[in-house]
Amino acid sequence: MARRIGADIGGTFTDVVGFDDESGEILHLKVLTTPREPWRGLIEGIEKLGWALDSVEIIVHASTIGTNTFLGQVGLRLPKAVLLTNEGFRDVLEIGRQNRPELYNLFFQRPAPLVPRSRRIGVRGRIGPDGSELEPLDENQVRRIARQWCREAEVFIISFLHSYRNPSHEHRAKQIIEEECPGAIVVTSYETDPQPKEYERTSTTVVNGLFKPLLARYIERVVEELRRRGFRGKFLVMQSSGGVAGSDEATRYPAAFIESGPAAGAVAVAHFSKLMGIGKALGFDMGGTTAKASTVVNGEPLVVQEYEVGGRVHMGRLLRGSGYPVRYPYIDLAEVSAGGGTIAWIDPGGALRVGPVSAGAEPGPACYGRGGTEPTITDANYVLGRLSDELAGGRVKLHRDLAEKALAKLAEKLGMDIVELASSIIRISNTVMARGLRLVSVERGHDPREFSMYAFGGAGPLHAAALAAEIGVREVIVPPLPGVFSALGLLVTDYRHDLHKAVVKRADEVSEEELERIYSELEQEATQMLVSEGVKQGDIRITRLLDMRYLGQAYELIVPYRGNIAEAVEAFHEKHRARYGYDMRGEPVAIVNARIVAIGAIPKPRLPRSEPRPYRPEPRRTRRVFFEETGWVDTPVYWRLELRPGAEIEGPAVIESDESTALVPPGFFASIDSFYSIHVRRQ
Amino acid sequence: MWRKEVREQMVDPVTVEVIRHALIYASEEMGVVLRNTAFSPNIRDRLDHSCAVLTPSGDLLAQAEHIPVHLGSMPVGAKNLVRYLEKEGEELGPDDVVLTNDPYISGTHLNDLMVLKPVYVGDKLVALVANKAHHVDVGGAVPGSIGGGAKLLLEEGTVIPPVKIVENGELRRDIVRLIQANVRTPRYFQGDLMAQIAALRLGEKRVRELAEKYGAEALLEAWSEILGYTERYTRNRLVELVEKHGKAGVYEAEDYLELSSGELARIHARVEITRERIRVDYTGSHSQVDEPLNAVYGVTVAATTYALKSVIDPDMPMNHGFYRVVEIHAPRGTIVNPEPPAPVGGGNVETSQRIADVVLRALADAFPDKVPAASCGTMTNVTVGGRAWAFYETIGCGTGARPCCDGVDGVHTNMTNTLNTPIEVIETEYPVLFKAYELRPNSGGAGKYRGGLGITRAFTVLEEATVTVFSERYRLRPWGLRGGKPGQSSHHYVVRANGEKIELGAKKTIVLRPGDTVYINTPGGGGYGDPCQRDEQLILQDLEDGKITLDHARREYCYTPETKQSTKK
Repeated sequence: MARRIGADIGGTFTDVVGFDDESGEILHLKVLTTPREPWRGLIEGIEKLGWALDSVEIIVHASTIGTNTFLGQVGLRLPKAVLLTNEGFRDVLEIGRQNRPELYNLFFQRPAPLVPRSRRIGVRGRIGPDGSELEPLDENQVRRIARQWCREAEVFIISFLHSYRNPSHEHRAKQIIEEECPGAIVVTSYETDPQPKEYERTSTTVVNGLFKPLLARYIERVVEELRRRGFRGKFLVMQSSGGVAGSDEATRYPAAFIESGPAAGAVAVAHFSKLMGIGKALGFDMGGTTAKASTVVNGEPLVVQEYEVGGRVHMGRLLRGSGYPVRYPYIDLAEVSAGGGTIAWIDPGGALRVGPVSAGAEPGPACYGRGGTEPTITDANYVLGRLSDELAGGRVKLHRDLAEKALAKLAEKLGMDIVELASSIIRISNTVMARGLRLVSVERGHDPREFSMYAFGGAGPLHAAALAAEIGVREVIVPPLPGVFSALGLLVTDYRHDLHKAVVKRADEVSEEELERIYSELEQEATQMLVSEGVKQGDIRITRLLDMRYLGQAYELIVPYRGNIAEAVEAFHEKHRARYGYDMRGEPVAIVNARIVAIGAIPKPRLPRSEPRPYRPEPRRTRRVFFEETGWVDTPVYWRLELRPGAEIEGPAVIESDESTALVPPGFFASIDSFYSIHVRRQ
Repeated sequence: MWRKEVREQMVDPVTVEVIRHALIYASEEMGVVLRNTAFSPNIRDRLDHSCAVLTPSGDLLAQAEHIPVHLGSMPVGAKNLVRYLEKEGEELGPDDVVLTNDPYISGTHLNDLMVLKPVYVGDKLVALVANKAHHVDVGGAVPGSIGGGAKLLLEEGTVIPPVKIVENGELRRDIVRLIQANVRTPRYFQGDLMAQIAALRLGEKRVRELAEKYGAEALLEAWSEILGYTERYTRNRLVELVEKHGKAGVYEAEDYLELSSGELARIHARVEITRERIRVDYTGSHSQVDEPLNAVYGVTVAATTYALKSVIDPDMPMNHGFYRVVEIHAPRGTIVNPEPPAPVGGGNVETSQRIADVVLRALADAFPDKVPAASCGTMTNVTVGGRAWAFYETIGCGTGARPCCDGVDGVHTNMTNTLNTPIEVIETEYPVLFKAYELRPNSGGAGKYRGGLGITRAFTVLEEATVTVFSERYRLRPWGLRGGKPGQSSHHYVVRANGEKIELGAKKTIVLRPGDTVYINTPGGGGYGDPCQRDEQLILQDLEDGKITLDHARREYCYTPETKQSTKK
């Protein structure tokens, strides 16, 4: 009984990974996602692993579907909801922050409001900014609305101004609706996201409110199907914060599940870096269409407190106003359009560009011979000798002539030869990916020179060394099984609950007793949640944090709170200086929110490990590989599974396995550590 | 043949491309620092700022702007500033930062404080970094410094000619205090200025890192390649437009601003497209006026650039190279290129919208499938303030209906894209209480596709305050296209605590007493196509959503439930 399974439902494929703690066996497979009834694909994938489900201890479920697909392709219809706001403010949800997602597109569209105008209703009653009641709630009006909509609406959502200060109107309205319409789901903004900014709070509440019945029904179905097949273990749901939650808790914040899959890669980096005692790590995950970058400091992935569900990304950054804002911790990932299938082209200025268009899985790179004719990053790598003629254990055979033909078209236009072009494509794509890595490191105030970079995904290990040099990280680490590394993250995730409460006061006007009261309330709530999920008291770890800013600023920095406000203020000044290059000691500092992160530890799988004994391995063969610094060089090729801890390899070298190829350029040095990871460093 | 030459140079084209991207990222990163550390809601919440990297002679290389009015005005401003310093014989040392808000130099209005810093590598000047941010108050007659009947620039606020605000790395506290003494919000001023300087330092650091990697000489060479690239891009697009799509020709349009006298001020644009260049000529526009509606040349460039880029190619890269192909002529002494001491506060918020409208209208003849009906055509500036506070916001409205579909409701259009400040934030920080923030039914121009709806925003002041409304489209409504009807005009008024109602017109400054309420109703966008051809489903949807009333549907859309049903099948 020491098996666990992770499953991630994506738009096209459902990824399933299984780990047997006793044998150390890792299984991984993909099945097609079944859009109408996603649980079918999930169950199919799990059954295909071939394990008796009564031998499985934990199943972790994640989703990479994305909201749009979730709504469209998956064929889920949003439940009918009614939104109650203050009178005069029913369009806050539709107007949003009043901006458009793109500056120069005269044909832009904003995402359609999730609750149509006809079902957004203003109610009389008003709470002021200090929490005082300016006008009593019109209870009769609420009662009438509840009655009128009871039959039609499945969900009632309540969001009133300043409810984070004084929730009494929301609370009372909820009571009335529950009286008048028993069985209806009633969701309030003060319970979902108790902090200022009415649009963000309303949007967060609406997204969670709408998905609540959907997710509850879905999880119920999945669990029922698994139980019928003999599963007796724990069913856990991955969250965008990088933690897991039991199914009950997960339905409290359903938005956290919808885009939870991408967090897994960062969680895997967190786990491995902690095991290996690496304090600062970057995750670099390059697949077929995109590359994702993440940051892990002291074993904790960096999270942001807000994201947009269904939003679009441009050059690694979210286009503000393109999706539905949700305030919930979200592992900070920068995603750029650079994967093996990304296409190179020439723009009207005559410049060589790479991406954002991708040849995807179909038709894929030209060299796959499946009808692709545009030159891709994979074609460039292949022509430069960096990939062998067969990939994936012989399942994919590469065609040199097709790759060359695709590149030749472009090379001619640019007056370059094919090799020069291929090498240029790699350089430009590295620039794009370096941006992603910079977004999560330099822009967050970190010095990349202090970081180790975990490279995974099919194409990550191929580009990592050059990228490391570009942004200046110390070393590259290619973990074992880089192709399924991200999925492994599902199997090493702890329980996690993030709770917060608005403070919104000057630091010198808050007492430590007041904070203590808030924290102990939050901690009690989180502890209850974890205990009900079956976590033992001794496995619970809680961190206290404060959101702070200079009075007048709008963006907070989060600093740890250890029971001393003066110390937290000092930590804030320090962090401001580190991030922005200056501080303003003497200026008043505001405390916006008190937050806690409550972690419930889950036993981790054991990974194979043995003591490194330094030796020089024998290459399998040599192959001519092109490097920008040296031109074509006869390069030794090693087979990864033959390498034991302690192996030392001088670049140039290629280290191959079925799922991924690692490149060690000239001037770099590779070694295998006790966890069978490859470390690549500059000599 | 100069392509050949390029090959001989030490910076290869791919490195140039790498550097070009690095500069774009650097300017974006500067913008993030500025936003995250600024104090006034105007910058931190509304993102009314932009950041740029320029060549040593002030040619724009890369810019991150959040609102289009900064695009185009930045290159003009930076170039003017460099010329000014040269003329005055002022040398900038490696640790100096220069500050100015003189609109006739910086290229927008007094509220935009522009800072600029040289980037040296050793003793070689390799680049300039600069940014602009809209400060909420710069003194003058009214809180917020926009509107209020100024006849001269001096009446609009404090004019800061280029001064070294940081000299040899030291902040000139005396100058900071001098400015603080002349503005209503001294604490915000300092907080925002510090944020601007922090952003410059970051930009400097990024450019230096590039120099370390590629060498200072190589960077200078890359600059000229980067400008050359944009020039080639623009030229190739133009050749394609003329040769493939037959767009060569002269296209003209005009539209009007509403002066406080009731008189209309014409803006006329003549857009000439040839294989070699695009020339936009504003000859025939009204002479400069003694009220703050004059748009300095930088603003005119910004609005023209916006319209061209949006219609021709939204992805077109933007730097000085663009202006080697696009020529913008605005006669001196006109409302689109005034001379001192004309007041200019509303030039980049209101006149810029009209300039964009005119150029878009002209382009509608050349590109019928790419130009929407008129958007609301105003930023609707509202400033509220008392003795020691000032709050400024612009309010969204409706966009024009498009050849494909309806306009967008309640959003910022064309030359601005600032975010709103959350009501909960305003109420916490200022003595105002909001009454409404809603879409304005029936305000979108009728058409086969409906214009976007305007916004109703209303607030009560809780202590004595001065309110200034500075807007447009009160008399002339946003035009429709191809049979579409114009959008509804703006309508602003005050209801006193005692119930008395006072109409504000388009531009007004008024002193309010506690309990008085201001109602702002912004215009809707123009409609597109014949309203009688509107799909019945869309009409029904609008009725259900309360975006139009039944009465309006009958009157404007030839809608009668009976006839529609009978003609349907």
